[in-house]
Amino acid sequence: MSTETLNYSRDRSALAVVLSDFWHEFKQNHGALAGLVVMGLVVLMAVFADVIAPHSPIEQYRTAMLVPPVWQDGGSWEFILGTDSVGRDLLSRLIHGSRYSLYIGLIVIFISLTVGVMLGLLAAFFKGFVENLIMRAMDIILAFPSLLLALALVAILGPSLENAMVAIAVVLIPHFVRITRAQAIAELGKDYVAASQTMGAGVGRLMFINVLPNCMAPLIVQATLSFSTAILDAAALGFLGMGAQPPTPEWGSMLAVAREFILTASWLVTLPGLAILITVLSINLIGDGLRDALDPKMKRGKA
Amino acid sequence: MFSFLIHRLMILIPTFIGVTLAAFAFIRVIPGDPILVMAGERGITPERHAEMMTAFGFDKPIWEQYFSYIWQLLQGDLGTSIVTKQPVLEEFAALFPATIELSICALIVATVIGIPAGIIAAVKRGSFFDHSLMTLSLTGFSMPIFWWALLLIVFFSGFLGWTPVSGRISVMFYFDSVTGFMLIDSWLSGEEGAFKSALSHLILPSIALGTIPMAVFARQTRSAMLEILNEDFIKTARAKGLSNFRVIVVHAFRNALIPVITVIGLSVGVLLAGAILTETIFSWPGIGKWMVDSIFRRDYPVVQGGLILIAGIVMIINLTVDLCYGLIDPRIRNKR
Repeated sequence: MSTETLNYSRDRSALAVVLSDFWHEFKQNHGALAGLVVMGLVVLMAVFADVIAPHSPIEQYRTAMLVPPVWQDGGSWEFILGTDSVGRDLLSRLIHGSRYSLYIGLIVIFISLTVGVMLGLLAAFFKGFVENLIMRAMDIILAFPSLLLALALVAILGPSLENAMVAIAVVLIPHFVRITRAQAIAELGKDYVAASQTMGAGVGRLMFINVLPNCMAPLIVQATLSFSTAILDAAALGFLGMGAQPPTPEWGSMLAVAREFILTASWLVTLPGLAILITVLSINLIGDGLRDALDPKMKRGKA
Repeated sequence: MFSFLIHRLMILIPTFIGVTLAAFAFIRVIPGDPILVMAGERGITPERHAEMMTAFGFDKPIWEQYFSYIWQLLQGDLGTSIVTKQPVLEEFAALFPATIELSICALIVATVIGIPAGIIAAVKRGSFFDHSLMTLSLTGFSMPIFWWALLLIVFFSGFLGWTPVSGRISVMFYFDSVTGFMLIDSWLSGEEGAFKSALSHLILPSIALGTIPMAVFARQTRSAMLEILNEDFIKTARAKGLSNFRVIVVHAFRNALIPVITVIGLSVGVLLAGAILTETIFSWPGIGKWMVDSIFRRDYPVVQGGLILIAGIVMIINLTVDLCYGLIDPRIRNKR
């Protein structure tokens, strides 16, 4: 029993060392910290949207259509960021929109990461036919411009937020497959894998317990960057009318509706786009920080 | 070099066959009746339905459909648009120059600004310029380009009134297309003001489309330059007493070219994807807008043919980029 505890505590401290090392590297990067703070605020906004938002995101105030933001002539404190063409409060719609963006990002990453890692591991472990089949299929997906493929997929599946998420996930899968495969092949050549194999570990154990944890660093970075791509692409699909459908307060589809008021009510165009930009920028800042902190090659470059 | 080319083609050909298979499967994986899906909410009479089934060959077995489709493809027949009744290839050929013109201009904007900015940032590492440039470039990279395009329109077309909002040239000019490139055609036409009009229509879309590549080029150039500037041969070059400019441009930048060419090559796919949004917003009559319109009109032969053509172009460009590395760096072409 005492050895068990000893092992356990040693593992714990090893993990703690890795994490504190990581945090030490990460906090050197002021941009990444700023990104983390902003992203934290966006998450809080999404979680407490019902509490924070002053109005309902879909209620139409027929007496207050196209009210400008409070700092412009004719603006009022009741609708701080103004209202849209049917009198919905823009601030409330933006706050609720953060839910959709995070939801889209999380679901897309979940699908593409899971499928991508599975396919990548299969390709690394089963060389020959399986590997060729998977990698050529990924080449085919990568041969199409991503947004075009997503657009075509949504056109087949029917325009909706769920189908847009599936389409974007499909387009992002190849990146995860390639990274997982390359990383797993490098790990498979190492002694600890051979040792585990000699001790009778099965393919499943080798894949998930031995190899996968050592492939995590680049996958985490890729997942972060894909998170921002997913938000951007979903907004683009929404903008083209192939994503979230009105009256959903999704930022991209809000921009699509606002397009006709571009010269008369510019706040309807500038603010949702700014929301997308700030969210995506903060995720990308975090992604940069993660890459610098996790990538050993970058560390050497710095020294 | 020759075996390198053959090796690359051996990978390319099965991938292209896969692309045709994917585009072929496109209409056929839709649950339900493809003709009804194409008809959409308009509905369709039973006679027309039977006619269309025969016209598309949906009444034949699936493998027979695929082979006759491949056979037509090999003869350069990509099908006929349901809406315009024009052959897909002809429509594509008519619109493609507009997209090339826009993409080349976007690429010029991105290269001319992005690469020198990246070089300066690397040389003045840690300076105010470096920090601002990296922040700006990450912002550009995070920009939803459809929104950025709208902002450009609000400011330059709406507020300042400098540039037109849409199209390739003012409607008052009319001349026959010689090259398909509006800048060259308007120049050749000799009509006064035509070239200026074409150029002013091109500026905003080029900036909108060029922003993301510009950000990527600046970042990539900076990091490639930083790596090279630490190398010993740069110290040697400096020790020889070469001018700073010569060390940076001739010695360092030439060696940083490979990663930079890689990103330029890879950005072609990005440009084509960006062209979908940019062309839609600026009503630019290129293949991006054509694909979006066709998807909305449920003109599936066009979508199918367009997907194959665009994927083919992306693959050829990627192959060219690969061959370029082989030419620049013998280590790559001799590696298996």
